[in-house]
Amino acid sequence: MRPILLQGHERSLTQIKYNRDGDLLFSCSKDHVINVWYTHNGERLGTYDGHNGTVWTVDVDSESMYMVSGSADNQLRLWNVATGKCLYTWEFPTAVKRVAFSEDDKQVVCITEQRMGFQCTIRVFNINRTGDGTKQSKEPAHMFSPVGSKATVCAFTSQPGIIFTGHESGKVALFNYKTGEEVDSNERAHGDVVTDLQMSPDKTYCITSSKDKSARIHDTKTLDVIKTFTTETPLNSAAIAPNKPYVLLGGGQEAMSVTTTSLRQGKFETRFWHKVFEEEVGRVKGHFGPINTIAVHPKGISYASGGEDGFVRVHHFDESYFKTQPYGDLQIED
Amino acid sequence: MSIPKTSWADDVDELVSGQQEDDNIRTVIEYSVNEQGKKVKITRKIKRTLQKSVVEHQVAERQKWEKFGAERGNARGPDRATTTVGENVYLTLSAGNKLLQSAESEQQEEKKPVKSTTGGKVVCRLCKGDHFTAKCPYRDTLGGLENAGDTGAGPDDDTVPPPDAASGAGPTGSKYIPPSLRAGARGTGETMRGPGGGNRDDLPTLRVTNISEDTQENDLRDLFGHFGRVARVYVGRDRDTGAGKGFAFVSFEDRAVAQKAMEKVNGKGYDNLILSVQWSQPRADPK
Repeated sequence: MRPILLQGHERSLTQIKYNRDGDLLFSCSKDHVINVWYTHNGERLGTYDGHNGTVWTVDVDSESMYMVSGSADNQLRLWNVATGKCLYTWEFPTAVKRVAFSEDDKQVVCITEQRMGFQCTIRVFNINRTGDGTKQSKEPAHMFSPVGSKATVCAFTSQPGIIFTGHESGKVALFNYKTGEEVDSNERAHGDVVTDLQMSPDKTYCITSSKDKSARIHDTKTLDVIKTFTTETPLNSAAIAPNKPYVLLGGGQEAMSVTTTSLRQGKFETRFWHKVFEEEVGRVKGHFGPINTIAVHPKGISYASGGEDGFVRVHHFDESYFKTQPYGDLQIED
Repeated sequence: MSIPKTSWADDVDELVSGQQEDDNIRTVIEYSVNEQGKKVKITRKIKRTLQKSVVEHQVAERQKWEKFGAERGNARGPDRATTTVGENVYLTLSAGNKLLQSAESEQQEEKKPVKSTTGGKVVCRLCKGDHFTAKCPYRDTLGGLENAGDTGAGPDDDTVPPPDAASGAGPTGSKYIPPSLRAGARGTGETMRGPGGGNRDDLPTLRVTNISEDTQENDLRDLFGHFGRVARVYVGRDRDTGAGKGFAFVSFEDRAVAQKAMEKVNGKGYDNLILSVQWSQPRADPK
């Protein structure tokens, strides 16, 4: 397959996200810029300018009407996707590391960094979708600080009031954001900081990647670890491919081997693992630096990866990807 | 997929260039003068195919949105400044854990059992595994390709079984043994006479590792030639791609020159990598 290289950022990518229909790809980076691209041909639709610091995270609602972004300039911004206009800005004491829309698009959860006396805080805002979107409430609907290790990633689950979080210690937990209490947790889910969290299409399970060189699939209700994928490099991102039993993992490279050996350029790879058999089935090379973020098209026809090198590579799978069945033709029943 | 004609305006000169369109294939012919002053005819055939896809109504609506932000005022279609097509990459999906690439396994610390895939006919000289020596995953730790002067067969080493087995099988006629490996291989007429009596095997040879892929024989000859006469340079290459494998052997005529070269070049930077120089095979005394 021929990847489409998107060169809209001057610094490393922090997160990329497809919209629900898969025709738009949002990318944000340390260069303060958020770009949105058409996925079928890689054409850039526009940029969202306004942040004054690294944009750590973006999320888009299911109608592709509003987008939220969190940045190191301590702001959470709500944007109109079509016009690029910033509709509302929330200010916090510390940087925003992660944002996520709820499934009904009415709420947004964000995590703010722990720094200088301020604890890591999780806030949930209600989004007012009526009118032009500029009238939002300044105060969060719910706010709490998780006890213990700071939260690094979070997402809404299918259960009302419950969010799934990943922490710096490697712990994953379920929090009730209305009461702020920790409903359940798995302290030993990972051995090092959880770097990414992505939900399955039906939200019954999710995949987390971690610097402890492994990725795990958890049941979102019970926090059971269903599958574990162990690699040799710290992972920065993991994604689940819809319609196919694969997961995509991306990460860095062992620090020691970076410049002391004559490795070929473009060697950083996105790894494809079989979701059920926990075995690696393929790799795609191309990036010139560690892969920081991976996202898969909601219909499973393409995927994109963003790297430390500032490139986003969009790959449209070819026939062979859909036809190959490395483990025989037994289909996983839904 | 159309490329604007204006970007070639600089190249077009002299002979008549033109373009025509047949069916969906646009042929553009241009003439220009290339770097060596030669006239070059460049023919580009561009095929445009129309792809139809059925999408949600909302998706179609979004395609019509005006561009904003840094893209404001730009025309429809991808901008080459931000969007390019990369080289082909292949994703081959196959079952199993045997996907370790040789580049990664160079860094392995523990030995993993290497499964037999060739049925015992190919034996690695380093680890006695079931692969060609050149493909040995433990090249780095077990000393790399053996000294080219040892067997005298040079780069074709990996197709020849170890001398012991070969000479034993010789008389019974089970395998072909090249002249250089037969009993009495050092005989006259079989080996090259080196300058002033030094045979290829006796030359003081250094093994240089961690050289870049692009480093050629000539580069090393120049680099080491600074210290004295270089008799021979061999750069280890991948058999299929021809790319450098990261190591080379440099043979000098004079041992003292080789010693000095080793001291000076070891640890020196060359093409963004730190070279490592040793005597080839620990048979010679290391410093």
